Parts: sequence; structure tokens; C-alpha cells
Amino acid sequence: MSPRSTPSDESEITRRKFLEVCAEAGASIFVFGAVVCTTAKLMLPSLAEARSPDGSDKDANDVIYGFLIDTTKCIGCGSCVRACKAENNVPDGYYRTWVEQYAFYENGEVTVNSASGGLNGFADAPQLDIPETTDEPPVRGFFVPKLCNHCINTPCIQVCPVGASYKTKEGVVLVDPQRCIGCGYCVQACPFGSRYLNPETRIADKCTWCYHRITKGLQPACVVSCPAKARIFGNVSDPNSEISRLLASNRVQVLKSYLGTNPRTRYIGLDSEVL
Amino acid sequence: MGRWKHFVRLLALLAMAAGAFLSFRAMAVPKDFGTLGHFRASAIAEAAAREPRHLGSKECEDCHDSIYVAWSEGKHSKPQCENCHGPGLLHVKTVSEDSTDAYPDRIKRYPKALQPTTGIQECKWCHLKTFERPATLKSINSVQRHVEKTGGTYTAGSKCTDCHDPHTTVVK
Repeated sequence: MSPRSTPSDESEITRRKFLEVCAEAGASIFVFGAVVCTTAKLMLPSLAEARSPDGSDKDANDVIYGFLIDTTKCIGCGSCVRACKAENNVPDGYYRTWVEQYAFYENGEVTVNSASGGLNGFADAPQLDIPETTDEPPVRGFFVPKLCNHCINTPCIQVCPVGASYKTKEGVVLVDPQRCIGCGYCVQACPFGSRYLNPETRIADKCTWCYHRITKGLQPACVVSCPAKARIFGNVSDPNSEISRLLASNRVQVLKSYLGTNPRTRYIGLDSEVL
Repeated sequence: MGRWKHFVRLLALLAMAAGAFLSFRAMAVPKDFGTLGHFRASAIAEAAAREPRHLGSKECEDCHDSIYVAWSEGKHSKPQCENCHGPGLLHVKTVSEDSTDAYPDRIKRYPKALQPTTGIQECKWCHLKTFERPATLKSINSVQRHVEKTGGTYTAGSKCTDCHDPHTTVVK
């Protein structure tokens, strides 16, 4: 008889004993690994995102950018959309920033029109969306420019599987074109529709607040080109900046505040229909 | 030794797998990944490195000083040069690269350097009457009606710039 068929032999390792030892070893490796990882995370705060208890990024002395849109000043000319497209090579049919035209009718209907994102200043079809139930012209209306909200609690960064979406210390949400695999999770995660998959590069693209301009001391292209001064960009951690003074003296809202994403793009003069 | 043979084999397999994983990971993950957060740290500098295309109206003053003065002192000083003419980066580069050439030739050679203006489409962006636009912003419904109302003679294809200087809005 071969030794294999004598399990009663104490010196031999039985299958049961082998599995037992393996399970014990596995469990101890798992516990050890968990302890090491937790300690590493505690000792290296940079791994976890640096946050102060109120949810905003820490270090008040650092530059934190903010964007303010005064919808009461916007005339819907689309200069921002054209400037953005030229500055950032945005392909046809896609927008990093766009303008929406809200129209209110006598019978209570509300329509939103963003033909070509406002690229032609609503000059081609200014009243494209007159509802069928009424022939009357709208009783009131306004324009709402939109762009990436650069949220403090970003749904888009959370879902990125490869670490291609990230936030700079100034609070700007960016995409790393080298890391992005174009899966489109972030496009779906963004509740504001601010992201798109660029059909030319096949990666996620979005408003960067013109990061290549603001880091050189320039203003974003849309802010520079706005003839109505409806867009204000600046350092919100400096209390003397224009945006800080405007934020302090106006009633300011954010889009979809109920989602808790805490946007850094803020608005003056939004109606409840927009929120 | 015989009784530990299984473990030695298993450990050797595990070590090989771990080694393979670690070497693959070292190749796949960039060196600076994770130093500032769950992303590639050098991506920030790369994003900031791109050259701005809109140079600002001040940049136009050097060569186009008379138009710049008329524009900046006139009623149309809010829209910037590049709003109608397009971003100036290529244009300025072209002009400064070889300054002996005649100016119109450079525009021809680089047709995309400055967008040609139509003299009506650019005006409609802001001055077409829609219900949202404030009364202080002078806006019209149709060129024909505007010309007839102001006592001009309208012909098919009349443009805003036939009568108005686009830089100052003044009627010629």
C-alpha cells in the first residue's frame, strides 16, 4: 500500500489539516494587511483628500477659485460659447459651456431652448420652442449660461476607475488625458451634464475654467469675452477680490443644491424653474 | 522536509505571483501617481502648460492703434476684438515671425489666423431682438425694417457694416 492511503499516520499531512493551515495563514495575512493599510492611510494624510470639517478644502491662505454668473446681465449673445470653443478646441456639437434660454408663457408653460448651445446667440431661431398649445409670444424669459460647477463633493471623480479625474488644490476639477480610458462613467455621473466624450480624442472632456490661462494670471476665455460682464471669475479666499465682494453682497444660489455636490460655480438671479 | 513540501511549493507560487503583480504594477502605474491624491501629479503641470489662444484686446493695440483707440473710446468697447475677429494667437505669431512681409499676404497664408467678419452675423449675436434682451441694448428685428425706419435705402443683401462702423457703432 502506498503511504497516501494511510491518513491515520500522525506525521503525514492530511487534506483536512492542509486546508486548515492554509485558511489560518490566509486569515492572518488578511488581518496583517488591513492593519498595515490603515496605519499607512493614517500616517500619510495626502492619500485621503485633505478636507476641513466643513467640507471645503483646507488652508484659507491658498488660492481657491470661484465662478459667479449673474443671469440678470446675460444677453444670450453666445460670445462665451464661441470663445470657449476656439480656446479649447471643442468639437462641433459639444460644449464645455453653453447658454440656455428660458421662456415663460401666459398659460404657465415653461420651455428651455439651447439651440447649438447658444453658439449663434439665438440669432437663427430665437423662438424655436413656442409650445403647440399657445400662439402667444412668451411673457418673460431669461438666459442661463452653464458650465462645469467644479463641485467640492464631486460625483465624477468618485466614479473614475483609473484616477484620471482629479481636483487641484485650487479646487479645479480636471481630466488627465493620459490616464483616461474613455469609459464614460464620469459623463453619466455628472448631474449637470458638464462632461462629454470627445469624439476626436475618445476621452472625457470638460470645462477646466481655462486652467492653462488662470495659472498664467489670465481670466478664462468665456469671462474675457463676455460683453455684459455676466461672468466673474476669481480667488474666493481673497476677501478683497471682485468675486468675494460680489458673493458677500448678493443673494447667491447654486444649481441642484439638493444633491449636495456643493458647486463652486454660483449664480445670481435664478428662478425656481432653473434650480 | 517531506511534510512541508506542499507549503514550500505554495509559498513559491505565491511569491512568484506577487513578484509578477508588483513588476506589472510598477510598469503600469506612473511614478508620481498618488503623491498628491489618487491621480498623476504631473498632470496638473501638463494641463497648465497649454498656450492661451485669446490674447486680449490690449495685444492688438501695438499694431492697430488707431482702431484700438476708436474702439476703446466708443460705444462698442464692451465686446473685445477677439469676439468678432477670432483668437489672435496664430495671427500675432504670423506677424512677428517675419516682419518684412506685407500684412495681407500673411492673412492669406494663414486663413484661419483671423476669422473674416460678415458684417451682419456678428451683429445679430447681440443685437437681434428677443424678448429677454434689455431695452438698453439696441436691438432690431430685421435689417430691412431698421433701414426703412431710419430713412435709408434698403437693397437685398444690405449689411449692418454698410452704414455702421462696427468698431464704434457710429453711422458712416
